[in-house]
Amino acid sequence: MNHLTMEQLLELREPGREPGAGAAYRHFEGCEQCRTEADRLAQRVARLKALPSPRASRNRFLEIRSRFAAERRRRRFRAATLAVLALAASVALAVVLRGDGGAGDRTSAGAAAEAELREAMARSRDMEAALRAFDPDRRVIDGRTASIAFRLEDQLGAVDRQLEMLGLMPSSPEPVDRERLRLWRERVGLLDALMDVHLTRAKYAGM
Amino acid sequence: MDVYRLAQEDTLVTQARRGDPSAQEAIYRAFETPVYGLARRICRTREDAEDVMQETFLEVFRSLARFRGDGSLWGWVRRITASKALMRLRRNKYRDADDLDEGFVDGPRDRTVLRMDLEAALERLSETARAVVWLHDVEGYTHDEIGRMMDRTPSFSKSQLARAHHRLRAWLGEEVAI
Repeated sequence: MNHLTMEQLLELREPGREPGAGAAYRHFEGCEQCRTEADRLAQRVARLKALPSPRASRNRFLEIRSRFAAERRRRRFRAATLAVLALAASVALAVVLRGDGGAGDRTSAGAAAEAELREAMARSRDMEAALRAFDPDRRVIDGRTASIAFRLEDQLGAVDRQLEMLGLMPSSPEPVDRERLRLWRERVGLLDALMDVHLTRAKYAGM
Repeated sequence: MDVYRLAQEDTLVTQARRGDPSAQEAIYRAFETPVYGLARRICRTREDAEDVMQETFLEVFRSLARFRGDGSLWGWVRRITASKALMRLRRNKYRDADDLDEGFVDGPRDRTVLRMDLEAALERLSETARAVVWLHDVEGYTHDEIGRMMDRTPSFSKSQLARAHHRLRAWLGEEVAI
């Protein structure tokens, strides 16, 4: 019998799989050359297993995390879109049922709400400017702080999407204005919390 | 092979499923090296391997809800890595000059006794052959599993492995130490 081929030698390492493996094994038992070849093979495999594991040149977690967060924001955006569409439908229904068109008498309560909205928007702008000036992206951040900051940024993203959707609505009946005010208040709260997270971390880090 | 067993794996998985970045980071840190290592062994370039690593972790975080926990987390992550790396390999197939089963024709260069180190010899194999060698001999996948992952037959995997060892043996100019 000829010496075993590489395929047969490999097959012998997984015995009982192929018909004819018995004959190959009998040859192997009596053939010094094939046994030597099998030793070479075993040593080669052992050396392959012992090769050092290559390491990535840099930490890519933040990149992966921000891509993942962006995906989640897109998913939430779709959910928020549906929620806003549902709100729009209920507003339209309320307006039709009331039959007054809602445009005529703007009450003092309405004016107060509008003033409050303007104030919330201005505060949000100021806080965002302060956050930009602080430039958190350029600062080293520990895992726990990053975790809280990511969560707040996710929530901010969701609020922004809902505000965007409300902005697309042609008229501003009362329930929509109420929702808009609620979202701007929430935005201010989230920015406030985000600023707190960064400033507290900076304080502890002595920056 | 389950070298990379995570402490408090169940808790971490539950937290990561909820999107907790600390838990996700713990999973990333635990598997970063083996994931990159496996990707690098299959992919031709470091850049491809880094892309595969990124794709793998994104898929892991996206799909954690589907991880049933009947095997180890590393086993599951490893399969995703192998699958992403093989997908990348298929996409880059045009770069594989001695492609798949048509490859491994001995040229004059192979008749010269070449002594290479194992890393260089491994690198010189075609991407497919290298992937088969690594998945079978180091990661412990069977030919059936490799065939399935590559959309080929188990015989394809067997013949790739045999030819690859034939070549490695020649390139390494091996002496056996008994």
